[in-house]
Amino acid sequence: MSEVPMTRYKSLKHMPSTRLLGTGTPMCAGCGGLGALHEIYDILGEKTVFVNAAGCMTLMSVYPFTPFRGSWLYTAMASAPAGAQGIRDALDILIEKKRISKAEDLQVVVLTGDGSAYGMGLSATSGTMERDLDYLYICYDNEGYGNTGQQFSAATPHAAKTSTSMGPRGFSGFKKDLFAIWAAHKPAYVATVIGSEPVDLARKIEKAMQMKGPRMIIALSPCPTGWDYDPKETVEIGKLAVKTGVWPLKEYINGEIIHTKIPRQRQPVEEYLKLQGRFKHLFEPQRNETLISKLQNKIDTYWENIES
Amino acid sequence: MTRQLLTGNGAAAWGARLAATDYIPAFPITPQTEIIEALANWIDYGEMDTRMVTMESEHSMITAAGAAAATGVRVFSATSSQGLLYAMEMLYTVAGWRAPFVLTNVSRGLAAPITLESDHNDIVAARDSGFLQLHCSTCQEVLDNTLIAFRLAEDKRVRLPVIVNLDGFYLSFTREPVELPEASAAKEYVGEYDPENIQFRASAPVSQAVAVLGGSPYSYFRYETHLAVQNGLTVFNEVADEFAEKFGRQYKTVEAYRMEDAELAFVMMGSFSTKAMEAVDKLRDSGWAIGLCRPRMLRPFPIKQFQEMLSHIKGIAVIDQNISMGMGGVLHTELMAAMYGQPDAPVISSFIGGLGGRDITMEEFFEMANTARNAVEQGQAPSPRLLYSENELREMRKLQSIAKVERDELGQSSGENSGGNTHE
Amino acid sequence: MYRIRFHGRGGQGMKTASRILGTALFLEGYEIQDAPRYGAERRGAPIFAYVRADKKTINERGIITRPDLIIVADDSLIPVPAAGVLAGIVEHTVLLINSDESEQTWQHRLNIRNKIITLPVETEDRAELRFIGATCTGAASRLLGIISLASLEQAIKDELAELGPQIIDKNIHKAKQAYEKVAPNENCVSQGSEITAGKYLPPDWIDLPFEAAHISAPNVWASATSMKVNTGVWRTLRPIIDYERCNKCWWVCSTFCPDSAITVDESGQPHIDYDHCKGCMICVAQCPPHAIETISEQEAAAQDKLKEEETTS
Repeated sequence: MSEVPMTRYKSLKHMPSTRLLGTGTPMCAGCGGLGALHEIYDILGEKTVFVNAAGCMTLMSVYPFTPFRGSWLYTAMASAPAGAQGIRDALDILIEKKRISKAEDLQVVVLTGDGSAYGMGLSATSGTMERDLDYLYICYDNEGYGNTGQQFSAATPHAAKTSTSMGPRGFSGFKKDLFAIWAAHKPAYVATVIGSEPVDLARKIEKAMQMKGPRMIIALSPCPTGWDYDPKETVEIGKLAVKTGVWPLKEYINGEIIHTKIPRQRQPVEEYLKLQGRFKHLFEPQRNETLISKLQNKIDTYWENIES
Repeated sequence: MTRQLLTGNGAAAWGARLAATDYIPAFPITPQTEIIEALANWIDYGEMDTRMVTMESEHSMITAAGAAAATGVRVFSATSSQGLLYAMEMLYTVAGWRAPFVLTNVSRGLAAPITLESDHNDIVAARDSGFLQLHCSTCQEVLDNTLIAFRLAEDKRVRLPVIVNLDGFYLSFTREPVELPEASAAKEYVGEYDPENIQFRASAPVSQAVAVLGGSPYSYFRYETHLAVQNGLTVFNEVADEFAEKFGRQYKTVEAYRMEDAELAFVMMGSFSTKAMEAVDKLRDSGWAIGLCRPRMLRPFPIKQFQEMLSHIKGIAVIDQNISMGMGGVLHTELMAAMYGQPDAPVISSFIGGLGGRDITMEEFFEMANTARNAVEQGQAPSPRLLYSENELREMRKLQSIAKVERDELGQSSGENSGGNTHE
Repeated sequence: MYRIRFHGRGGQGMKTASRILGTALFLEGYEIQDAPRYGAERRGAPIFAYVRADKKTINERGIITRPDLIIVADDSLIPVPAAGVLAGIVEHTVLLINSDESEQTWQHRLNIRNKIITLPVETEDRAELRFIGATCTGAASRLLGIISLASLEQAIKDELAELGPQIIDKNIHKAKQAYEKVAPNENCVSQGSEITAGKYLPPDWIDLPFEAAHISAPNVWASATSMKVNTGVWRTLRPIIDYERCNKCWWVCSTFCPDSAITVDESGQPHIDYDHCKGCMICVAQCPPHAIETISEQEAAAQDKLKEEETTS
C-alpha cells in the first residue's frame, strides 16, 4: 500500500487510557496473551463479537462471568472462523432485510490460540479467506498447547522444552510460518504484533479496522506458565523477542510484506532465551553452543534476507 | 396447492424454500447434494431471497448454521452420513447453544467399508446430541416435516435444532407425487423467527455458550436441554395439528397403520416402513391381525405413545436399519426400555435388515411376522436376526475369492492365528 | 400395479426416459414412483431406472423384482450379466428392445417365450442415441395402453423444459413415431399378480458365522483384481489399429490410454485390450500417424462374426 493512513496512535501518550476488558478473568498472572487482547480491545471498542475456539481464552468467560462489554460466542477448537462466517452473514442478512438497523452491527472477531490457528482450525481459516469473509482474526500465540499444560504445538520454536519435548534437545521441529501461510491466501491484511509494543499494535489494529475482508493478526504472547519465567518478565521478554529479531513485526498488504520495526542492532538471541526456563537446557548444566548458534543462524538468515 | 412429482431431495429443498429460509451454509455429499444444488439454482435465479455459503467442511457448516441462528436468522442446512459424523462435535455444541434451525440428513451407511447407500447408522449416531429427529417415509413427509420442523425448532418451549431424516436413494432420488403448499400459506404457517434475547446486537451485548466449571451448573444446563427436547412431543402435536388444519395432512409422533385390533405389529422407521405397510395389507388379506407402528420422532423418544399403542399387542417384530456394534438394533433397545415392566408387555423380536441399502423383500416381512407369532406362542423372543440369506453368503464367498481370502479359511469360526499371513 | 424397468448405458438418458414415462402416467391420473439406480460406474456403464404406477398409493419401494415391462435402450447390454436385463423376468413380462434383430431372433437367442417388441436402431454409435429415451417412452406408452399422446407430449415438455423448444419438438416427434410404430401391440403389457402372505417362499436366512479380521476385514489381498471387471462392455465405439500404418512410435497411444488398456509388445507394437477398453478414443485422437480407426461396436461385432464363420467353414 503506497499511502499509509494517518494514525491516531503516534506514540505511547496517544494510546487509549480506557480499559474495556473487564478485570477478574481466570487467565494466569502476567499472561502476555491477555495483555495483547486488552490493548486490542481498547482499539476495537465494544461493538464486537468475539468468536472463540478451545484454548486458554475459552476460560475468559466462565458462567456467570464475562470480562467483555461486547459479545462473545464459544464455538469449538476447529471452527471459530466458521462461527464468524455464520454471525457475519446473519448480521448482513438482518441489515439487508432491514430487520435491524446498521447501528446494531458488530465487528466479528475470531480469537484463538496457536493450537487452533496453526493446526486444527487452519482449514476453517483458509475457507474464510477464500470466501473473503469480512472479519478480524486474532491469534494469541504462546507457542504451545497452553491450556492443557504446554505440550508442543505447530507454533513451538525449535529446541524449546515443552511437556511433550522434555529431552535434552527440546522440541525437534520448527515453528510453522503461519504469517506466510495466511499471506499466501492474499487476504486484506496480515500482521504480527506483540503486547510489549503497544504503539505498533495499536496502529495495526487501527489499520485493520479501516479495511474490509479477512484481517489476520498473530500476537506473540509470552507465557509465564508455559515458558517458565517470572510473570514480571512478560513485557521484557516481549521486547527482547523484537530486539533479538526472534519475532519480526511486519504486515502484509496488497501483496507486499513490510517490516514495521527493524531491529538495527540486533541483540544476541541468547539474551531472549536465557530468561526462559523452557530454554534452560541450552545453558545448563553446560552451554549447548551448537543449538544456540543454530537458533542464532536462523534469525540471522531471516534478517539478512530482509536487510539486503 | 398443486400436486407434482418430486424426489425426496427436491421435497427437502422445497421445504427450505417455502419456510422462507434466510441462510444456508452448505457442503456437498452424496446422496444429499441435489438439495443444495436446487437451492443454489433458485437463489441464483432470484427465486429465493436467501444467502447460501459453501463451507469447507460439515464441521464448519454446522458451526456457521448455529452461529447464524444464534444471531437471529432462519437457517437450513443438509448433510448425510460421513458428513453428519464429521459435524458430530458441533451437533452437540450448537444444540447446547439453543440455536434453532433445520438440518436435513439423507441417511447413508457409514464407513468402513464406505458405501453410498442407505441405512440409519448415521442418524442414530446423532441420537444423544440434543437435536430433535423427525423420520420420513415418503417424499410428501419430507416436505411437510421440514415445515413442521421449523415450527418445532423455533418454539419457545424447545428452541433447539431439528433433523429431518430421509433415506438415501429410496427417497432422495425417488420421485413421488407431492402436494406443494402455496408459498403464502406455508409462510403463514411457519411464521417469523423470533430469536428473543438469544442474538448478537450492538445495543445488547451477550456472551453466548460460555464455559462452566463444576458439575452442578453443567448438570443444570444439560438437563434443561433434555427437558426442552422432551417438550418436543407436546409441541410437535400442537404444530402438527395446526399443519393438518391448514394443509389437511395429519402427522403423529408415532404413526399407526392398521393397529386397531392388531395382535402383532411391525415397528420400524424410514422409507422401508411403507414396505411394511404393504406387508401388513397382504398379511391382513391372509387373515393376520397385524399392524405397523412407526416412530416419526426418535428424539424425543415417544415412550408414552409407544406404551399406549403397543400395550394390547402380543408380539412385535422390530426392524432396525442400523446396528449398534456389540448390542444390536437401536430401536429394539429403546423399545425394550419403553415396554419393560408394562403389564402384559409384548414379546419383542429383533431384526436387523436393510443395512447399506440391502432390500427387505415381502417374503422377509412375512417371515418376520411368522417369527414374531411363534415367539408369542413360546413366550420368548428368539435371538436377534440379521436379514441375510444363504445365497448372499454364497455370493460373498465369490467376492472373497477374488479378494484372495483363502478359500479354506472361509467358514472357520475360530480366530486362531495360523502363523501369519497365508495369503498370496 | 405396473412395474417397468429401463436398461441402458450411463449417458443414454435412462433417468430422463423413466421420468418422462413417470410424468405421463402421473398426468393420466396414476400414482407413480420413478427412480434411477446408479452405482460407481460412469458413462457407458450399464444402469437402470424404474417406474411404478398404480391407481392407489404405492408402498412398494426399491428394486423391481418382477417387471411387467422391460425396456432395453441398447441391445448390446442384454448379454452382459452385470446389466441384469433379464433379472426377475416372469411369464407375462414384455420386452421392448431397441435392436435391428427381430423378435424371433431374440426369443430364440434368449430362449424365452415372452412377448418381445423391437424398435430398429437409428444410429450406429450407441452413445449418439440422443433421442432413445423419447423413442422408448413413446413405444412404452402405447404398449401400456394407458397413456394418451397428449399426456406423452406434455410429459416430454415438462421433463425436457430446460433443453429448449427445438430439442423438445424433436423428442416429441421421435416419441410419436415410436408410439405409432408399435400400435399393433397396444395394451399388451399387463399388471402382474401380487404375492400373498398365504403362499410364499420363506427366505433362506442363515446365522452369519464369526470370521476373524484376517478374513472379514474389507481388504483385497491381491493386486489388480479390477482386471476381472470387463469394462469393455461400456464401449459403443471400437478403436482399431491399422498395423500397416502404425510406425511403432514411442507408444503414444499406450501412454495416453487412461485405462492401461493398450500394451506394447517387445517389437514396440501396441495391442488394444478390448475386454477393458472403454471406448474413450483418446488413442484415435493422439496417434501420430493416424493409424487408429474408429468403428461402431455393432459393425465390429458383425465383422467378428463374419471372421468366425470364415474360420469355421
